[in-house]
Amino acid sequence: MITLKNIEKVYQTKTIETVALHNVNLVVPKGEFVSIMGPSGCGKSTLLNIMGLLDAPTNGVVEIAGTPIQKYKDGELAKIRNHKIGFVFQSYHLINDLSVLDNVELPLLYRSSMSAAERRTRALTALEKVGLSARTKHFPSQLSGGQRQRVAIARALIGQPEIILADEPTGNLDSVMGEEIMNILLTLNREDGTTIVMVTHDENMANKTERLIRFFDGQQVADSRVFDFQKV
Amino acid sequence: MIRHLFKLIWNRKKSNFLLIAEIFFCFLVLFGVLSLVMYNIRNYTKPLGFKHDNVWLLTMRPSTDSTAQNRQSLEQVLQRVRAFPEVSQASLISSNAPFAFSQMNNSFSYGKVKDIDADIYEVQDEYKDVMQLQVSQGRWFSAQDNASNYEPIVINRAFQQKLFGQEDAIGKLIQGVDSTTFQVVGITDYFRAGSEYAAEEPASFTRINIQKRPDYFWNELLIRVKPGAGVDFEERMVKEISGIGKDWTLEVATLEKMRQNKAKLTLVPMIALGLVCGFLIFNVALGLFGVLWYNINSRRSEIGLRRALGAASGQIYRQFIGEVLVMATLGLILGVVFAVQLPLLQVFQVESAVYNIAIISAVVIIYLLTVVCAFYPSRQAAAIHPAVALHEE
Repeated sequence: MITLKNIEKVYQTKTIETVALHNVNLVVPKGEFVSIMGPSGCGKSTLLNIMGLLDAPTNGVVEIAGTPIQKYKDGELAKIRNHKIGFVFQSYHLINDLSVLDNVELPLLYRSSMSAAERRTRALTALEKVGLSARTKHFPSQLSGGQRQRVAIARALIGQPEIILADEPTGNLDSVMGEEIMNILLTLNREDGTTIVMVTHDENMANKTERLIRFFDGQQVADSRVFDFQKV
Repeated sequence: MIRHLFKLIWNRKKSNFLLIAEIFFCFLVLFGVLSLVMYNIRNYTKPLGFKHDNVWLLTMRPSTDSTAQNRQSLEQVLQRVRAFPEVSQASLISSNAPFAFSQMNNSFSYGKVKDIDADIYEVQDEYKDVMQLQVSQGRWFSAQDNASNYEPIVINRAFQQKLFGQEDAIGKLIQGVDSTTFQVVGITDYFRAGSEYAAEEPASFTRINIQKRPDYFWNELLIRVKPGAGVDFEERMVKEISGIGKDWTLEVATLEKMRQNKAKLTLVPMIALGLVCGFLIFNVALGLFGVLWYNINSRRSEIGLRRALGAASGQIYRQFIGEVLVMATLGLILGVVFAVQLPLLQVFQVESAVYNIAIISAVVIIYLLTVVCAFYPSRQAAAIHPAVALHEE
């Protein structure tokens, strides 16, 4: 589903050159739940940004579903992000002035072919999936951290993406809430076959995924299979 | 997307209120100034009804109170002025020559229509040629009026419509406030002697018959000179008239100069208002620019999020321009609701077209202003790198 070949990312300022990623080669097959671990500043988020087409590598090739995207223009990359990728962030990134329902609908606004009624139906379905159908009219400030993250997950899955990229989705939550969010992601992966790449600092969460990749100083230092899920 | 923008603006109404209010007040001021400008432009483009080039106004102020002597001198002056080869025609007039700062008016009644005010100009038969008036209906004064039982009067179309409506006015008798009965002998389509920027108001001409009023002194004489007559002729003419009217104070002014002086009365306040309005618009533009700049900087993570969710940079750009247009629309709707009351209630008796053009122009200017102000900040928003913006949070 996602292939990274010889990825290198260098941040250049006038005086300093920082290598964020060095020679990363990675294949994430369709339907896999991968977790990425490593200390702060090791390049995990940079890797996720490159996978999510939010950032371009300095060198190397990114392929999404077998198609190299380095020559794609901004509009085409945006379309891939909109149709194929869903994002979940540690700090939720909800728009505080929009209701839960409007926040969830957001990705579909960039699909001009979709009617308002269909957007609404799909948003309600997504919220039902994360157990928040009773909170559609609430605003993010009226929700707990766990509920906000569930809204963010509903927003990520409303476009029926093949890939979900989650950057420390449980990082701001207590263990119970974190467990809830993890279960939702696991269900999505097992039942819908969604490919999930999750950056985490939590060993327990990482151990629930199929595959664990460890990074250190911008390099992939370990890649191990945790266990195989019984996919539905 | 438009619904989304309206929702976003509505949900942020508290923070957007000041900006919408600023646009609303800016629209009202702009509408007021543009109404004034449109009113003056529309009047300026309408015919004056006379030609003022090569027309001089000679003002005579006798130093003695001897009316008989002054009248005798006046008639001699009149004869002498008309005899100059440089003069085409000359006419005595009351002291309200075109573009003068004095006015004379009277109230007239016809049948059930009572007390219609109209400017009144006392003129000689030659006035038509001096001012090159066009009489569109009936006739101008002539010697045949000497035998008339009534005072002949020529009126303009605005007066005819006010007093007679659709009825034919020629030959009709009208009453002045002093019970003088006037008979309408002619109608001119236009006559706006006040200023080029003044609206067409009811006006009338009554006939000076110097033989009938031997004890009256008219101290203003309008003279149409032939093209090319200049300062030399003016000096010669004044010198000769001084010889007739001894110790008279004489003053010659061209109607062109008087027109310019009168125009300044309208143009100076209009320019001053325009400058104030321009300054206000500049301030609004700076305010808009500042607020948008601040908005975009405080919404960087939202921009990053939208990019992550599938918005191309062009869509971000259009969203911010769209948000500003939505705010402008809300301010303008409020402003237009107020502004349309003026044409609906016929305030100041100004044509509705003036207000309508001013409303449309103000709306277009405000939209242009907001788009221009939003252009650069929106481009900056579109250029925000999503990965960086999301990381900042």
